[in-house]
Amino acid sequence: MNQKKALWEKIILAVLSIVAIIFFMMPIYWLITTAFKFGRDAFLLPPQWLFFEATLKNFQSVLASDKTFLYIKNSLIITTGTTILSLVLGVPAGYAIARAKNRFVGNSSYFFLLLQMIPPTAMLIPFYLIMRDLHLLGTYTSVILLDTVFDASFVVWMMRSYFVDVPQEIEEAALVDGASQLSAFFKVAIPLSIPGIIASALYTVIYSWNDFLFALMLTSPKTKTIPLGILASFSAVEISWGKMAVMSIFAIIPAVLISLFLNRYFVQGLTAGASKG
Amino acid sequence: MNQTLGKSLYKKFQNNTYLVLLLPLLLFVVLIAIYPLFFSFRISLFDYRLTDPNQTQTFVGIENYIRAFKDPIIFISLKNTLIFVAGTVSAELVMGLGLALLFAPETRIARFVRSFLLIPMALPPLVVGLVWKSLYNADFGVIPFYLKELGINVGRGPLGELNFAMPAVILIDIWQWTPLLMIIFLAGLKGLPKEPYEAAYVDGASRWQSFLYITLPLLKPTFLIAFLTRTIQSFKVFDIIYATTAGGPGNVTTVLNFHIYTVGMTFFDMGYAAALANILLFVVTIISIIYIGVMSRQQY
Repeated sequence: MNQKKALWEKIILAVLSIVAIIFFMMPIYWLITTAFKFGRDAFLLPPQWLFFEATLKNFQSVLASDKTFLYIKNSLIITTGTTILSLVLGVPAGYAIARAKNRFVGNSSYFFLLLQMIPPTAMLIPFYLIMRDLHLLGTYTSVILLDTVFDASFVVWMMRSYFVDVPQEIEEAALVDGASQLSAFFKVAIPLSIPGIIASALYTVIYSWNDFLFALMLTSPKTKTIPLGILASFSAVEISWGKMAVMSIFAIIPAVLISLFLNRYFVQGLTAGASKG
Repeated sequence: MNQTLGKSLYKKFQNNTYLVLLLPLLLFVVLIAIYPLFFSFRISLFDYRLTDPNQTQTFVGIENYIRAFKDPIIFISLKNTLIFVAGTVSAELVMGLGLALLFAPETRIARFVRSFLLIPMALPPLVVGLVWKSLYNADFGVIPFYLKELGINVGRGPLGELNFAMPAVILIDIWQWTPLLMIIFLAGLKGLPKEPYEAAYVDGASRWQSFLYITLPLLKPTFLIAFLTRTIQSFKVFDIIYATTAGGPGNVTTVLNFHIYTVGMTFFDMGYAAALANILLFVVTIISIIYIGVMSRQQY
């Protein structure tokens, strides 16, 4: 580990790093610059990577459409609903699984792990028919319910591994002082696990914001989300790459913000599922 | 009688706070997920087409399942799914480990780059698909342009050619999910003990030797978890196929999930679609149980 690297090794590593960075960043860079390009420049070959005439015209025309705000509003409603419902159901369940001595409760974590692995189409076909019979097709409720199945199962798994690491002594002290188990959960365990709850929330935000398949099948023109809006602008008579790019920028805002500024929580979430059985 | 039962149940819940905390989610999941899966099994035994104006449901027994085993597209889509899963998972494992080693040092630059590399996997897969579709476009896409400069002509664009469509779609998945494996491997590398390396250094081992004989064997559990996590996710692929090729050209990128969607949601042949979905569910459940078995044995 302490051996010095030779110069040629350093050069190879630097070149590999640069290649990796270009490969992973190029599509995102292309998307963002396309949003600021005039239509004619977006198609230009060789592409103008650095020097092009920047314009806000695409943003203006996208923001001039009422539909844009409808899509954004719908995405916000579905994401907020799914996140709140997933946390309300998932956090207590994660705590129960982490603390319970009862084998049924403890082992139910594997059931929730299994649920996350169900292929979405397997769920979607019966769910679509049930929602149709209940006259819930095209409502926010239908999308939120189905998103929550997958997201809450993830929250359980993640919060379980988080609560296992929270020292139990403080909760036990509260119990000795006469607090009930429920109030030990609400007043001691929850405040101590805020970072874990933030990480879980970020996850459900990303999953529900990014969802496409469920929204594709379960929403109506009034409840369409941003990904469906992007698709609509793509398949319209005149394909406007600039407009598509602007809509896509709205779609990627949460991903970029969370990756760059809340990455501590995000990474925690990614490894929680993977490293703790 | 009923009252005493109610009372004893109430008492039981009183004594078992944990069950009370678990129950809401359990009920929710049974209602929203487990019930539909049973419902799906029932539908799969019927000939049920939404396009039929009378909405008749004729009981056909296991005929839908028999039909699945005679359907040539099933085998094509099964083969495609396996190619897709094998291609994406193996490339992502190798590249993910490479990225982790490259950006493992706790320097400011490495940390900065790592946070940017998180972006792809947080993006909506649909947007990722559409962006790459544009980059691949035969007439004004960036990628065919540079390939042409290099003397490689890809005719109708990578997504339009029988030989290139699948690798092109696999590359998109690699782009999006390699960073996830980087994160998993970074966590694995961080958890490695220091002593074996010091001992190997004293014994005069080269860095390459200690990587080969210490790092790789110690990373085996991480490899397993990374492999299974990605395999299960990769089986679910839908959005990027929908956004890029819609299964074409000539079915070379039709994966199982996409085929089920086409049968159910474009042909509205619900009974058959449900049967296909149940077959996929069966396969995925088996893989998942293996995964859970491995995970539960690795309590570290």
